[in-house]
Amino acid sequence: MSGDPILDEWYPVALVSQLGPLGRDTRLLGQPIRVYWGTDHQPQVSDANGRALPVTCRYGHVWTCPGTPSRPLFDIPEADQPGRRLVDVGVVRVKCSPLRAVENFLDIAHFPFVHTDILGAEPHTEVGRYDVQIRDEVDEVWATKVQFYQPQAAKSAAGGITTEYMYRVPAPTVAVLYKTCPPRPGEWDVITLFVQPLEQDLCEVWPWMALFDDTTSLTDLIHFQQTIFVQDRSILENQLPRLLPLDPGMEIPTRADMTSIAYRRWLKRRGYSFGAQLVAA
Amino acid sequence: MATEQFLIAGELRADSFLPWIERHIRRLGLHGAASWRADGQVEIILSGPPDLIDAMELGVSLGPIDVWVETVGRRPLANTETA
Repeated sequence: MSGDPILDEWYPVALVSQLGPLGRDTRLLGQPIRVYWGTDHQPQVSDANGRALPVTCRYGHVWTCPGTPSRPLFDIPEADQPGRRLVDVGVVRVKCSPLRAVENFLDIAHFPFVHTDILGAEPHTEVGRYDVQIRDEVDEVWATKVQFYQPQAAKSAAGGITTEYMYRVPAPTVAVLYKTCPPRPGEWDVITLFVQPLEQDLCEVWPWMALFDDTTSLTDLIHFQQTIFVQDRSILENQLPRLLPLDPGMEIPTRADMTSIAYRRWLKRRGYSFGAQLVAA
Repeated sequence: MATEQFLIAGELRADSFLPWIERHIRRLGLHGAASWRADGQVEIILSGPPDLIDAMELGVSLGPIDVWVETVGRRPLANTETA
Protein backbone atom coordinates (compact mmCIF):
# COMPACT_ATOMS: atom_id res chain seq x y z
CA MET A 1 0.00 0.00 0.00
CA SER A 2 1.10 3.56 -0.59
CA GLY A 3 -0.53 4.27 2.77
CA ASP A 4 -2.48 7.19 1.37
CA PRO A 5 -6.21 6.51 1.84
CA ILE A 6 -7.03 8.72 -1.14
CA LEU A 7 -4.55 7.25 -3.62
CA ASP A 8 -5.27 3.64 -2.68
CA GLU A 9 -8.92 3.68 -3.82
CA TRP A 10 -10.37 2.52 -7.15
CA TYR A 11 -11.89 5.22 -9.37
CA PRO A 12 -13.98 5.07 -12.57
CA VAL A 13 -12.26 6.80 -15.48
CA ALA A 14 -14.08 5.71 -18.65
CA LEU A 15 -16.88 3.63 -20.09
CA VAL A 16 -15.39 0.57 -21.77
CA SER A 17 -18.02 0.75 -24.52
CA GLN A 18 -17.15 4.36 -25.33
CA LEU A 19 -13.38 4.17 -25.19
CA GLY A 20 -12.40 4.90 -28.79
CA PRO A 21 -9.18 4.07 -30.61
CA LEU A 22 -7.71 7.46 -29.69
CA GLY A 23 -8.18 6.82 -25.97
CA ARG A 24 -9.25 9.38 -23.40
CA ASP A 25 -7.21 12.12 -21.77
CA THR A 26 -8.74 13.02 -18.45
CA ARG A 27 -7.87 13.90 -14.85
CA LEU A 28 -7.94 12.07 -11.55
CA LEU A 29 -7.41 13.69 -8.14
CA GLY A 30 -6.03 16.83 -9.78
CA GLN A 31 -3.53 14.98 -11.99
CA PRO A 32 -3.65 14.18 -15.73
CA ILE A 33 -4.10 10.56 -16.74
CA ARG A 34 -4.59 8.77 -20.03
CA VAL A 35 -6.96 5.86 -20.67
CA TYR A 36 -6.25 3.87 -23.84
CA TRP A 37 -6.34 0.45 -25.46
CA GLY A 38 -3.18 -1.58 -24.87
CA THR A 39 -1.55 -3.91 -27.33
CA ASP A 40 -3.29 -6.78 -25.52
CA HIS A 41 -6.65 -5.18 -26.47
CA GLN A 42 -7.37 -4.37 -22.84
CA PRO A 43 -7.86 -0.85 -21.45
CA GLN A 44 -4.75 0.65 -19.87
CA VAL A 45 -4.26 3.76 -17.74
CA SER A 46 -1.09 5.77 -17.30
CA ASP A 47 -0.22 8.86 -15.28
CA ALA A 48 1.56 12.02 -16.47
CA ASN A 49 4.96 10.30 -16.14
CA GLY A 50 3.87 7.36 -18.28
CA ARG A 51 3.65 5.07 -15.24
CA ALA A 52 1.13 2.27 -15.77
CA LEU A 53 -1.59 2.30 -13.12
CA PRO A 54 -3.57 -0.72 -11.92
CA VAL A 55 -6.66 -1.32 -14.05
CA THR A 56 -9.78 -3.38 -13.68
CA CYS A 57 -12.87 -3.41 -15.91
CA ARG A 58 -16.21 -4.00 -14.18
CA TYR A 59 -19.78 -2.71 -14.32
CA GLY A 60 -19.18 -1.32 -17.80
CA HIS A 61 -16.40 0.98 -16.65
CA VAL A 62 -12.63 1.18 -16.58
CA TRP A 63 -11.38 1.57 -12.99
CA THR A 64 -7.94 2.63 -11.91
CA CYS A 65 -6.04 3.28 -8.70
CA PRO A 66 -3.27 5.92 -8.55
CA GLY A 67 -1.62 4.22 -5.56
CA THR A 68 -1.65 0.60 -4.51
CA PRO A 69 -5.19 -0.78 -4.12
CA SER A 70 -5.99 -1.34 -0.46
CA ARG A 71 -8.60 -3.95 -1.45
CA PRO A 72 -10.23 -5.39 -4.58
CA LEU A 73 -12.94 -3.40 -6.33
CA PHE A 74 -16.22 -3.75 -4.41
CA ASP A 75 -18.64 -6.46 -5.50
CA ILE A 76 -22.16 -5.94 -6.87
CA PRO A 77 -23.42 -9.53 -7.18
CA GLU A 78 -26.56 -8.39 -9.02
CA ALA A 79 -24.37 -7.50 -12.00
CA ASP A 80 -24.04 -11.23 -12.71
CA GLN A 81 -27.69 -12.12 -12.10
CA PRO A 82 -29.37 -13.54 -15.25
CA GLY A 83 -32.20 -11.47 -16.69
CA ARG A 84 -30.96 -8.07 -15.65
CA ARG A 85 -30.30 -5.32 -18.14
CA LEU A 86 -26.98 -3.62 -17.53
CA VAL A 87 -27.22 0.02 -18.57
CA ASP A 88 -24.30 2.36 -19.15
CA VAL A 89 -25.95 5.75 -18.67
CA GLY A 90 -23.01 7.92 -19.76
CA VAL A 91 -21.29 10.80 -18.04
CA VAL A 92 -22.36 14.10 -16.50
CA ARG A 93 -19.70 16.66 -15.52
CA VAL A 94 -20.62 18.55 -12.35
CA LYS A 95 -18.83 21.53 -10.82
CA CYS A 96 -18.97 20.20 -7.28
CA SER A 97 -16.98 18.17 -4.82
CA PRO A 98 -17.08 14.47 -5.70
CA LEU A 99 -18.17 13.82 -2.11
CA ARG A 100 -21.05 16.28 -2.49
CA ALA A 101 -22.21 14.29 -5.54
CA VAL A 102 -22.29 11.08 -3.48
CA GLU A 103 -23.98 12.80 -0.55
CA ASN A 104 -26.70 14.20 -2.83
CA PHE A 105 -27.36 10.71 -4.19
CA LEU A 106 -27.88 9.49 -0.61
CA ASP A 107 -30.34 12.26 0.21
CA ILE A 108 -33.99 11.29 -0.06
CA ALA A 109 -35.44 14.47 1.42
CA HIS A 110 -34.76 16.49 -1.75
CA PHE A 111 -36.84 14.24 -4.03
CA PRO A 112 -40.17 16.13 -3.82
CA PHE A 113 -38.50 19.49 -4.32
CA VAL A 114 -35.91 18.74 -7.02
CA HIS A 115 -37.41 15.75 -8.82
CA THR A 116 -40.99 16.95 -8.50
CA ASP A 117 -43.64 14.50 -9.78
CA ILE A 118 -40.97 11.92 -10.67
CA LEU A 119 -39.18 10.75 -7.54
CA GLY A 120 -41.32 12.72 -5.10
CA ALA A 121 -44.26 15.07 -4.79
CA GLU A 122 -45.76 17.37 -2.22
CA PRO A 123 -47.38 16.81 0.25
CA HIS A 124 -45.50 13.48 0.58
CA THR A 125 -42.32 15.09 1.89
CA GLU A 126 -41.74 13.31 5.18
CA VAL A 127 -38.83 10.88 5.43
CA GLY A 128 -39.75 8.11 7.87
CA ARG A 129 -37.38 6.46 10.29
CA TYR A 130 -34.83 4.12 8.76
CA ASP A 131 -31.70 2.27 9.85
CA VAL A 132 -28.15 3.42 9.12
CA GLN A 133 -24.95 1.72 10.09
CA ILE A 134 -21.28 1.49 9.25
CA ARG A 135 -20.84 -2.25 8.71
CA ASP A 136 -17.41 -2.94 10.13
CA GLU A 137 -17.16 -6.43 8.61
CA VAL A 138 -17.22 -4.98 5.08
CA ASP A 139 -16.21 -1.40 5.92
CA GLU A 140 -19.21 0.07 4.10
CA VAL A 141 -22.06 2.44 4.95
CA TRP A 142 -25.56 0.92 4.65
CA ALA A 143 -28.97 2.56 5.03
CA THR A 144 -31.92 0.16 5.06
CA LYS A 145 -35.71 0.21 5.48
CA VAL A 146 -35.93 3.57 3.71
CA GLN A 147 -39.47 4.14 2.48
CA PHE A 148 -40.74 7.01 0.35
CA TYR A 149 -43.79 7.74 -1.78
CA GLN A 150 -42.88 8.28 -5.41
CA PRO A 151 -45.18 9.31 -8.29
CA GLN A 152 -42.97 7.51 -10.85
CA ALA A 153 -40.31 5.47 -9.10
CA ALA A 154 -38.87 4.02 -12.28
CA LYS A 155 -39.42 4.19 -16.00
CA SER A 156 -41.32 0.89 -15.71
CA ALA A 157 -43.66 2.11 -12.93
CA ALA A 158 -47.26 2.72 -14.04
CA GLY A 159 -48.18 5.10 -11.22
CA GLY A 160 -47.35 6.24 -7.72
CA ILE A 161 -46.03 3.68 -5.24
CA THR A 162 -44.32 3.63 -1.88
CA THR A 163 -40.82 2.64 -2.82
CA GLU A 164 -38.43 0.91 -0.47
CA TYR A 165 -34.77 1.76 -0.77
CA MET A 166 -31.43 0.57 0.51
CA TYR A 167 -28.32 2.69 0.11
CA ARG A 168 -24.79 1.41 0.18
CA VAL A 169 -21.46 3.27 0.06
CA PRO A 170 -18.75 0.71 -0.73
CA ALA A 171 -16.05 3.26 -1.66
CA PRO A 172 -15.65 6.99 -0.95
CA THR A 173 -16.80 8.08 -4.41
CA VAL A 174 -19.33 5.33 -5.09
CA ALA A 175 -22.94 4.96 -3.98
CA VAL A 176 -25.25 2.06 -4.79
CA LEU A 177 -29.02 2.34 -4.54
CA TYR A 178 -31.25 -0.73 -4.29
CA LYS A 179 -34.91 0.06 -4.85
CA THR A 180 -38.24 -1.71 -5.20
CA CYS A 181 -38.47 -3.32 -8.62
CA PRO A 182 -42.02 -2.66 -9.93
CA PRO A 183 -42.22 -5.52 -12.46
CA ARG A 184 -40.55 -8.10 -10.20
CA PRO A 185 -41.55 -7.98 -6.52
CA GLY A 186 -38.91 -9.49 -4.27
CA GLU A 187 -36.01 -8.25 -6.38
CA TRP A 188 -34.18 -4.94 -6.19
CA ASP A 189 -33.31 -2.65 -9.06
CA VAL A 190 -29.71 -1.49 -8.73
CA ILE A 191 -28.76 2.06 -9.63
CA THR A 192 -25.23 3.22 -8.98
CA LEU A 193 -23.34 6.46 -8.97
CA PHE A 194 -19.69 6.09 -9.86
CA VAL A 195 -17.88 9.40 -9.35
CA GLN A 196 -14.55 10.29 -10.92
CA PRO A 197 -12.91 13.03 -8.83
CA LEU A 198 -11.24 15.38 -11.30
CA GLU A 199 -10.48 18.12 -8.77
CA GLN A 200 -11.58 18.85 -5.21
CA ASP A 201 -14.56 20.76 -6.61
CA LEU A 202 -15.08 19.16 -10.02
CA CYS A 203 -16.16 15.65 -10.89
CA GLU A 204 -17.61 13.43 -13.56
CA VAL A 205 -20.53 11.26 -12.59
CA TRP A 206 -21.02 7.90 -14.28
CA PRO A 207 -24.42 6.39 -13.39
CA TRP A 208 -24.86 2.69 -14.13
CA MET A 209 -27.86 0.41 -13.65
CA ALA A 210 -28.71 -3.29 -13.37
CA LEU A 211 -32.48 -3.56 -13.83
CA PHE A 212 -35.25 -6.04 -14.40
CA ASP A 213 -37.10 -4.22 -17.18
CA ASP A 214 -37.80 -5.98 -20.46
CA THR A 215 -40.11 -3.41 -21.95
CA THR A 216 -38.58 0.07 -21.71
CA SER A 217 -36.28 1.03 -24.55
CA LEU A 218 -32.63 1.62 -23.75
CA THR A 219 -32.99 5.21 -24.92
CA ASP A 220 -35.86 5.82 -22.50
CA LEU A 221 -33.98 4.21 -19.58
CA ILE A 222 -30.95 6.39 -20.20
CA HIS A 223 -33.05 9.49 -20.74
CA PHE A 224 -34.93 8.91 -17.46
CA GLN A 225 -31.73 8.71 -15.42
CA GLN A 226 -30.09 11.60 -17.25
CA THR A 227 -33.13 13.76 -16.51
CA ILE A 228 -32.72 13.00 -12.80
CA PHE A 229 -29.01 13.77 -12.79
CA VAL A 230 -29.35 16.98 -14.77
CA GLN A 231 -31.94 18.15 -12.21
CA ASP A 232 -29.44 17.34 -9.45
CA ARG A 233 -26.62 19.20 -11.18
CA SER A 234 -28.19 22.62 -10.79
CA ILE A 235 -28.52 22.02 -7.05
CA LEU A 236 -25.05 20.58 -6.62
CA GLU A 237 -23.32 23.41 -8.44
CA ASN A 238 -24.83 25.98 -6.11
CA GLN A 239 -24.23 24.28 -2.76
CA LEU A 240 -22.24 26.09 -0.09
CA PRO A 241 -19.76 25.28 1.24
CA ARG A 242 -18.54 23.75 -2.00
CA LEU A 243 -16.52 21.05 -0.23
CA LEU A 244 -18.22 18.47 1.98
CA PRO A 245 -17.87 19.52 5.64
CA LEU A 246 -16.57 16.78 7.93
CA ASP A 247 -17.46 19.04 10.87
CA PRO A 248 -21.18 19.92 11.02
CA GLY A 249 -20.28 23.56 11.66
CA MET A 250 -23.13 25.85 10.66
CA GLU A 251 -25.27 23.00 9.36
CA ILE A 252 -28.09 21.55 11.42
CA PRO A 253 -28.42 17.92 10.40
CA THR A 254 -31.79 16.31 11.11
CA ARG A 255 -33.14 12.76 11.18
CA ALA A 256 -33.46 12.79 7.38
CA ASP A 257 -29.69 13.39 7.16
CA MET A 258 -28.69 10.23 9.05
CA THR A 259 -27.16 8.62 5.95
CA SER A 260 -25.17 11.74 5.15
CA ILE A 261 -23.82 11.90 8.70
CA ALA A 262 -22.88 8.21 8.61
CA TYR A 263 -21.11 8.79 5.26
CA ARG A 264 -19.16 11.73 6.69
CA ARG A 265 -18.24 9.75 9.81
CA TRP A 266 -17.01 6.92 7.61
CA LEU A 267 -14.91 9.29 5.45
CA LYS A 268 -13.45 10.84 8.58
CA ARG A 269 -12.53 7.45 10.04
CA ARG A 270 -10.84 6.44 6.78
CA GLY A 271 -8.94 9.73 6.58
CA TYR A 272 -10.49 10.47 3.19
CA SER A 273 -10.30 14.23 2.62
CA PHE A 274 -10.21 14.87 -1.17
CA GLY A 275 -13.22 17.15 -1.73
CA ALA A 276 -13.82 17.56 2.00
CA GLN A 277 -13.73 20.61 4.24
CA LEU A 278 -12.12 19.58 7.51
CA VAL A 279 -12.89 22.56 9.73
CA ALA A 280 -16.24 24.35 9.92
CA ALA A 281 -16.30 27.68 8.13
CA MET B 1 -39.52 20.26 26.34
CA ALA B 2 -37.27 17.39 27.32
CA THR B 3 -34.13 17.02 29.38
CA GLU B 4 -31.59 14.34 28.52
CA GLN B 5 -28.17 13.11 29.48
CA PHE B 6 -25.74 12.26 26.66
CA LEU B 7 -22.73 10.08 27.43
CA ILE B 8 -20.16 10.31 24.66
CA ALA B 9 -17.40 7.74 24.21
CA GLY B 10 -14.58 7.61 21.69
CA GLU B 11 -11.26 9.27 21.03
CA LEU B 12 -12.19 12.57 22.62
CA ARG B 13 -8.94 13.91 24.03
CA ALA B 14 -8.82 17.11 22.00
CA ASP B 15 -9.21 20.28 24.08
CA SER B 16 -11.41 21.66 21.34
CA PHE B 17 -14.24 19.23 22.03
CA LEU B 18 -16.03 20.81 25.00
CA PRO B 19 -16.03 24.35 23.52
CA TRP B 20 -17.24 22.82 20.25
CA ILE B 21 -20.12 21.10 22.05
CA GLU B 22 -21.13 24.28 23.82
CA ARG B 23 -21.10 26.22 20.53
CA HIS B 24 -23.29 23.55 18.95
CA ILE B 25 -25.72 23.68 21.90
CA ARG B 26 -26.09 27.44 21.44
CA ARG B 27 -26.41 27.10 17.67
CA LEU B 28 -29.38 24.76 18.13
CA GLY B 29 -30.98 27.03 20.71
CA LEU B 30 -30.77 24.37 23.41
CA HIS B 31 -29.86 24.78 27.05
CA GLY B 32 -27.14 22.63 28.50
CA ALA B 33 -23.55 22.07 29.52
CA ALA B 34 -20.79 19.57 28.84
CA SER B 35 -18.21 18.14 31.23
CA TRP B 36 -15.50 15.48 31.39
CA ARG B 37 -16.09 12.37 33.46
CA ALA B 38 -13.41 10.44 35.30
CA ASP B 39 -13.75 7.51 32.87
CA GLY B 40 -12.79 9.72 29.92
CA GLN B 41 -16.30 10.07 28.57
CA VAL B 42 -18.00 13.40 28.03
CA GLU B 43 -21.35 14.06 29.68
CA ILE B 44 -23.86 16.56 28.31
CA ILE B 45 -27.04 17.57 30.09
CA LEU B 46 -29.44 19.11 27.56
CA SER B 47 -32.89 20.68 27.63
CA GLY B 48 -35.03 21.66 24.68
CA PRO B 49 -37.43 20.39 22.02
CA PRO B 50 -36.96 16.66 21.29
CA ASP B 51 -36.29 17.20 17.56
CA LEU B 52 -33.45 19.57 18.37
CA ILE B 53 -32.02 17.14 20.90
CA ASP B 54 -32.05 14.55 18.09
CA ALA B 55 -30.20 17.09 15.93
CA MET B 56 -27.65 17.53 18.71
CA GLU B 57 -27.00 13.79 18.74
CA LEU B 58 -26.41 13.80 14.97
CA GLY B 59 -24.08 16.80 15.17
CA VAL B 60 -22.09 15.37 18.07
CA SER B 61 -21.79 11.97 16.39
CA LEU B 62 -19.74 13.68 13.66
CA GLY B 63 -18.03 16.22 15.89
CA PRO B 64 -14.94 18.31 15.11
CA ILE B 65 -12.25 16.87 12.86
CA ASP B 66 -9.79 16.10 15.69
CA VAL B 67 -12.29 13.98 17.63
CA TRP B 68 -13.69 10.53 16.88
CA VAL B 69 -17.05 9.87 18.53
CA GLU B 70 -17.66 6.13 18.80
CA THR B 71 -21.02 6.17 20.60
CA VAL B 72 -23.56 8.61 21.96
CA GLY B 73 -25.62 7.12 24.79
CA ARG B 74 -28.87 8.92 25.63
CA ARG B 75 -30.94 8.83 28.81
CA PRO B 76 -34.09 10.89 29.41
CA LEU B 77 -34.03 12.82 32.66
CA ALA B 78 -37.34 14.69 32.37
CA ASN B 79 -40.10 15.39 29.90
CA THR B 80 -42.30 18.44 30.34
CA GLU B 81 -45.34 19.13 28.18
CA THR B 82 -45.64 22.78 27.20
CA ALA B 83 -48.74 24.57 26.01
